[in-house]
Formats: sequence, structure tokens, C-alpha cells
Amino acid sequence: MVKKMVTGNYAAAYGAMRSRVKVVAAYPITPQTFIVEHLSEFVNNGELECEYVEVESEHTAMSTCVSASATGVRTFTATSSQGLALMHEILPIASGMRLPVVMAVVNRAIAAPINIWVEHNDIMPERDSGWIQVFCDNNQEVQDMVLQAFKIAEDKRVALPMSVGLDAFILSHTVEPVDLMDQGLADKFLPKYVPPGPIIDPDDVMDVGVFTPPEYMMEARFNMDKAMREAPKVIEEVNAAFAKQFGRNHGGMIDPYMVDDADAVLITLGTASSTAHEVVDDMRAEGKKVGLVKLRFWRPYPSAQLRKIAEKSKAVGVFDRAVSYGVSGPSFIEFKSAAYGLNVPAMNFIGGLGGRDVSLADVRFMYDRLLEAGKTGKVKREITWMGTRGVEQ
Amino acid sequence: MLAFTRIDTKRIYRKTQVYEPDIVVILDEGLVETVNVVEGLKKGGIVIVNSAKKPEDIDVGIDVKLATVDATTVALEVLKQPATNSAILGAFAKATGLVKIESIEKGIMQIFGDRLGPKVGELNGKAARVAYDRTIVGQSRGHRQLKTAKKWLPDVNELPLGVAAVPMKTEAGMVGPGSFLESKTGSWRVFRPDYSKDKCTMCNFCWFYCPEGCIYRKGEEMEFDMDYCKGCGICANECPSEAIKMVR
Amino acid sequence: MKLKEMPDEELFTRGHTACAGCGAAIAARNLIKVLGKDTVVVSPACCLLIFSATYPLIAWKVPYHHVAFENTAACATGMKRALKVRGKDSTTVMGIAGDGGTADIGFQALSGAAERNEDILYVMYDNEAYMNTGIQRSGSTPFGAWTTTTPVGKVKSGKENFKKDMPQIMMAHNVPYVATASVGHIQDFINKFEKAKKIKGFRYIQVYTPCPTGWRHDTAKTIEICKLAVDSGMWTLYECENGKVTINRKPKMTPVAEYLKPQGRFKHMTEADIKKLQDWVLKKWANDEKLAQMKT
Repeated sequence: MVKKMVTGNYAAAYGAMRSRVKVVAAYPITPQTFIVEHLSEFVNNGELECEYVEVESEHTAMSTCVSASATGVRTFTATSSQGLALMHEILPIASGMRLPVVMAVVNRAIAAPINIWVEHNDIMPERDSGWIQVFCDNNQEVQDMVLQAFKIAEDKRVALPMSVGLDAFILSHTVEPVDLMDQGLADKFLPKYVPPGPIIDPDDVMDVGVFTPPEYMMEARFNMDKAMREAPKVIEEVNAAFAKQFGRNHGGMIDPYMVDDADAVLITLGTASSTAHEVVDDMRAEGKKVGLVKLRFWRPYPSAQLRKIAEKSKAVGVFDRAVSYGVSGPSFIEFKSAAYGLNVPAMNFIGGLGGRDVSLADVRFMYDRLLEAGKTGKVKREITWMGTRGVEQ
Repeated sequence: MLAFTRIDTKRIYRKTQVYEPDIVVILDEGLVETVNVVEGLKKGGIVIVNSAKKPEDIDVGIDVKLATVDATTVALEVLKQPATNSAILGAFAKATGLVKIESIEKGIMQIFGDRLGPKVGELNGKAARVAYDRTIVGQSRGHRQLKTAKKWLPDVNELPLGVAAVPMKTEAGMVGPGSFLESKTGSWRVFRPDYSKDKCTMCNFCWFYCPEGCIYRKGEEMEFDMDYCKGCGICANECPSEAIKMVR
Repeated sequence: MKLKEMPDEELFTRGHTACAGCGAAIAARNLIKVLGKDTVVVSPACCLLIFSATYPLIAWKVPYHHVAFENTAACATGMKRALKVRGKDSTTVMGIAGDGGTADIGFQALSGAAERNEDILYVMYDNEAYMNTGIQRSGSTPFGAWTTTTPVGKVKSGKENFKKDMPQIMMAHNVPYVATASVGHIQDFINKFEKAKKIKGFRYIQVYTPCPTGWRHDTAKTIEICKLAVDSGMWTLYECENGKVTINRKPKMTPVAEYLKPQGRFKHMTEADIKKLQDWVLKKWANDEKLAQMKT
């Protein structure tokens, strides 16, 4: 057991190293850059045996990972914001070709305006890319999820790429105590890579990614949908297996906290979950019945689980760190879809955009609103733009 | 390769493929041998074929009103290239009577002429007119066994992961690496190579230059595979001993 | 390897759906013969992809894949690195793309892979336009050519800029091997692919592949036009091996007008246009010659 104070970026890189990645595509972008830098140090110091490719753009980074994965090896890259956007073209190619590529995404606001701090609007447009997507709220989880990501993605029932999300600066650059995993334990959990499908091999000829007429498309897409529906089962299995081997359970699709008897429940993505955790403890000590659902997996989306919780709650709030203009935050949209037909008062809190801090007071404000709605059965304001000057709260 | 047209005096709402045609136009005569060209054809429908044969000499598998014209020859005569699309419109006018040949000429002048100039419009209109005059409308009797070319249509469980093209033998033939052999492109050609073994020096140039790779070295002579030859004419053009000539 | 020694076995089968007389098909069919079975290939969206691999029918008998349009060199990089990890380092990794996918949109990935000296063979088949999408001009389209984005009109006609010199741009990357080839010059073609196969590091071969559909020429004239291109100086056959440039064939300097004649894409060109092109050719050849003398 080696507990060290490390940043989220270091944790992600370390997780990739322990996963014995064989091809790493490296390109810098704030605030992800340290991930690829740490990996280059691991490689050049002989700690990680892999092909490290210093590519000339993120588009090439993802392309290199796709072709390397198609040629039968474990691949990894990392990006943020504009870099993720530049990769956008290749993301559905990775999932369409059913390749278990794993990528760390340090969630950073996407321009315009150009901003380097946390916002989730870089990953939100990739919702339908066919990638499995998880959000972390602490650095231990970041390291652990990289290893778990390979196990989930490489499962034959899934065979889809996966992204591990961590908030810009709050996790990427902040040091936290992390139990850096032992290679032997990691190998036991994640054995040698076995490609889930056919691969490029001069001794076993096949072709992939070729021009495909309409006659095959419905079936191809159905199979991807099927895999995404199988994924929650695999995610829970992997989580349980990981907890057994490493003694750490980050929760599966969601990590509910104090929701069973809660009058007000808040659903959060990313580090706001962690802050909310503390507020729940404080408010519970005051006798207020509040609960928290840390929404870990964005895709696949835990509809059934969230609906079950909503059925028993008096009021549900969704905190969004992104906006779907003219509608609401995207997480709120997904929640309403899962809760369709239920009568529970639901509210959306949009905040923390572009790195604006989400304080304890902010979370408390959300719970106060929710408790009020729970009492009256009425929603005072459906969408609140937190701390936005000139906008009524 | 299928293309569809709907003609109506009222607004046409349906935006789907045509499954029950009134009229079938066949530009590639070879298709009659390999495909059920009359699938879905409505009762009283008509078939128009680009062919030098007379209607009664063509068998599409059913008894049907059938018109023929050698549109390829018309195109070669008038346009100096085997582009049959304008010529066949003349056959359409004659066989169906749905439009007048004058309207066809006008339409061609409008569309071809605008894009490619009045001379091109005029020549293509002439091709349609000549084809119109030469079109024979008759009856054909069908004796042929109608076959539908089988196609490999895997279900969700059979489709390989990632839509990979893995080598497989299916009821529709080979799929995967090297499976294009199942596609007999010989039906594309208008001209074919006529080979004189005695003039051939086995220089191997034609073997290299053939874009299809359908010229084989067979000991002291070359063999030309007519199942695949598209009739490009490169072999004839390049042969240093004039051992190959392109013929119809 | 002499022409007659080339193997009979086709690793790129007939039955593919290229246009009759396609230069790219001639190139693909023959180069894979020279490179042999132990080769893996990646192509972008281009004519070659569509006519050689429309699911589930494939002409290639070696592993072939496609990812996107602009990343051929990136994907070849990925394949090579993975094969190295898997202990199959001797397999030839080839990225083959058209001129649009190489000189224009593919340039970034190409330059990056070259700068890193990735151990891949990059082949550009040059049909001098975006042919797959219906004949639009690319950086490799010659001056004056008609294309659908440089059409013949009442006010303007033809491409206004000259052909991008990709071979020399690649030479400037100081990679182990850069060469030009043509499907009309058989032994030169075979020699270059044979040589490239044996070299480690980044190799670039640009093959001149006329397109009857896009250049508006008789399907039978594909090879004839290659010869005219080389004889007139429009296309120089040369190679650069570790910085040393060798001209493989000195052009006869046939007047450019002879080269233009059989091609419909040039038939609108005026005397002034032709002179401009001729001047460019003379300048280009002088420069190529000087380069060969310098880089020895």
C-alpha cells in the first residue's frame, strides 16, 4: 500500500501505467497536459513499456489509438475541451468499430469564450458518441476508474470505448491522498489484453471500417445499443470485483448517499458531488432530511435507478455544470426523461460554469429550495442560474 | 444499380424506393440473365431494353409488352461515346407514349444545353430522336426461370462485431477479403479485346496494365477473362505488337 | 524484380468497382503484389476505399481498414506501433490515399508522421483532384484544369494555382525515402516499391494515376497519358534516398500542348494559358535538375 499525495492527472497516468497500456498517443492541452507528461516520464524511466507517440494533434491522437486498438493492443490517450472537440469525428468511429479505447477527459469549458476551468460542456456533446462515460469526484477514484474502464470496455458483452472524466483543476491539479495500486494486484484484476473482436493481423486476414451500404446499418446500430444496455451489468460486476480485490467501492452506476428517507434529493455530476456530500452531513446533523445521488455513469444512463429514487422523494434537484441552450442543463433533461409520468417536484440548478466555484453555501441553497418545494409540492423556479448577476435566483 | 423516377400531374408525396413499377428500363442487357428485372412489375407494365435484339427474342421470365433499341450503337454513332442515358429517353417516349419525342428534345436542350452548351444539347436530343425512330415495340414471351440474386443479409446476431469483413462462405457466396471475385464486372463493357496469339510476344505489358487484373499468363499466351473485363481498351492501346484489337 | 518475375497471385482481386481504365486500380493491384502478403493497409475515404471495399465485398487479400478522411498517416502510425508491440515489426504498414487526402486535408497527419520518422510506407495515388466526390480541385490539381469547383465559365475557367510540389515538401522532411512513380513506367514502379519495402523509417511514394472520368480522356489512354506527362516534364520521375536525389528519367521536353491534347479537362485552355503552363514546366524541370545536382 503506497499512499501518496498526488494530483488527479498523476492518478490518471498512474492508472494507465498499471493497466499496462501498450500504445499511448500524447498531445498537450491545459489542464490535461500533465497526464501525458507523467506517462512520458514513466516510459523514459523504463517503468512503462509502451509505444509512446508524440502526435501532432488530438485528431491524430484518437486516430492513432483507434488503429492501434484495431491492431489488437491496449491504447490510451487524454484530452480536454477543444482537444476533445477536435477528436469528435473519430469518437463514433471508435465506438462503431467496437474498440475498447480508454481516454481520460479533464473536463474543461469549451470555447467560446475561451476558458480553461471546469465545465462539462466539452463532454456533453459526446453524449451520443457511443462511448461509455464516467465522472469522478476524487483522485483515488480517477486512478481506480482508469483500470476499471479497461475491464468494462474490453468485456465481450460491451466492446465499447470509455472515457474517465475529472474536473479541471479541482481534481486535475489538486493533490489528494491516493493509494497508488500495486502492479501485481492490477495484473490480477486486469489480465493480459484479449481483443473482444477480430483484429488487423497479417496472419489472419480481415478488413474493417469499410464502406457500408444501408442493408447492414440498422443491425450494426442495434448491436451498439444492445452493448450499451448490457454495460450497466458489467459496470456493477467490475465495481464489485474491484471492491473485493482493492477494498474500495466507488459505487456502481450511481453512488447514493442518505437517499432512503430523504425529503430532498440532489443529483450531481463531478466534484460538486463531493462538496454536496459534506453539506448533506451538516444538514442531517441539523435534522434536515436531505440526500445525494452522485451520478457516476452518464452513459449508460441509470434511468431505472434514478426513477426509483425519484418515486420515493418529495423533491428532486439536478445540478448541471453545462447548459443546453433554451432548454435546461443536460442532466436535468435526462432526469426528466427517466422520471416521465412521476409527479415529483423537480428543479434544475445550473452553476459552476467556466470554473465558477460551487461552495457549501451554494449547495445548501439548492437543498433549501428543494426542501421548500417538497413541503409545498410546488416548484418556485424550475431553473436557477446560480449566482448569476442580474438574474433572479 | 437501381434508379427510380415517378411521374405524375399531381404533387408526389411518397419518398421511398419504387417497389411496384409500371415501367422498367434496362440499360445493361446483361442484367436480364442475372437479375429478376420484372420483380414487382404491375400487370400491364412495360419493359424497355437497350438491346440490338427484337422484342420477341428477349426473355425476361414473363409474357410482357417489351420494347428494344440498340441505344449503345445510337450513342456511339451520334455522340461518339457509349452514354446511353439520352438515347434511351427516345425509346421511353415511343414505348410508353407518356411524353412526346418533341418534349424530350426540348427537355434535353433545357437541361443538357444549359449545363454543357447548345451543341451538346442538340446532339443528345438527336440521340433521343434517332433512338425513338429505331425503337421496336412488341411482345416478349417468358420461359426463363426467374432468379433473384441472393444477398447476404445477416441478422443482429450474425453481423460480425464492428461490422468487420471476416472471411465467410454464405449462401450468397463469399464475403470478406478477396470476395469481390463474386462481382462479375464483365457486364459493364461495350467493347472487348480481340487477341491474336500469333502476334503476341508475351511482353507482359497488358498483364501489368490491366486495371482489373483479368488478363492471365497461360504459358505461351495470354488469357482474357471476359467475366471481368470492363472493355477499357488499355491493353489494346499499349500492346507493342498490335496483338489486341477492341471490338464490339 | 523484373516484370516477368512478378507473381501471378493477385492480392487485389478483379471484380472491384473502379471505373474502366482507372489508374488507381492499376497502381493498387501492382504495388500490393510487389509488397506481398505481409502487409497491412489503411486508406481514407477516397475512390480506392469505395471501389475496393464495399461491405461485405472486398478486393484486398491483405488486412485493410479505413478510419476517416484526413488521418491516413495517423492510422498507419497506430497500426505500426501496435504491430511492433505484438512482435510483428517486419510487417509492411502502408497508408494509401489520394491527393486530396494527402496534400490537403491529410497534410497535418502526414507531416507529423514524417517528422517522427514513423516506420511506414505512405503512398499517394495522384489523380489530381477529389475524384470520389465528383472531381473537385485539390492542391495537386494542375494549373488550368477544369474541375467542378474550377469550372469553365463565362468569366473564369480552370484552376488558377499551380500543382503543390508534394515530393519536394516530403524531401524537406528529411525522411529516408521519397519517390515519384507512374503506372505507365513499369520497371521504375516495381523498383521503387521493392526498394521502399526494404527501407526502415518513413517512406513516401507519389504515383501518377490518370483518371479517365475526371480528366475526361478515353479510357484506353491512361498509360499513354502517363508517358506524355513524364516526357513533357509535367511529372518528374525521381527519388531521394537519404537526401540524395536521382532523376530516373530525363524528360524529352515534349511540348506541354501534346500532353494537354487528349484530356478534356484542358480543352478550354487558351494559348496564353498553355504558355503559362509550359513556362512553369520549364522552371520546374530546371529546379528538379538542380536539386539532383545539389543533393548528391
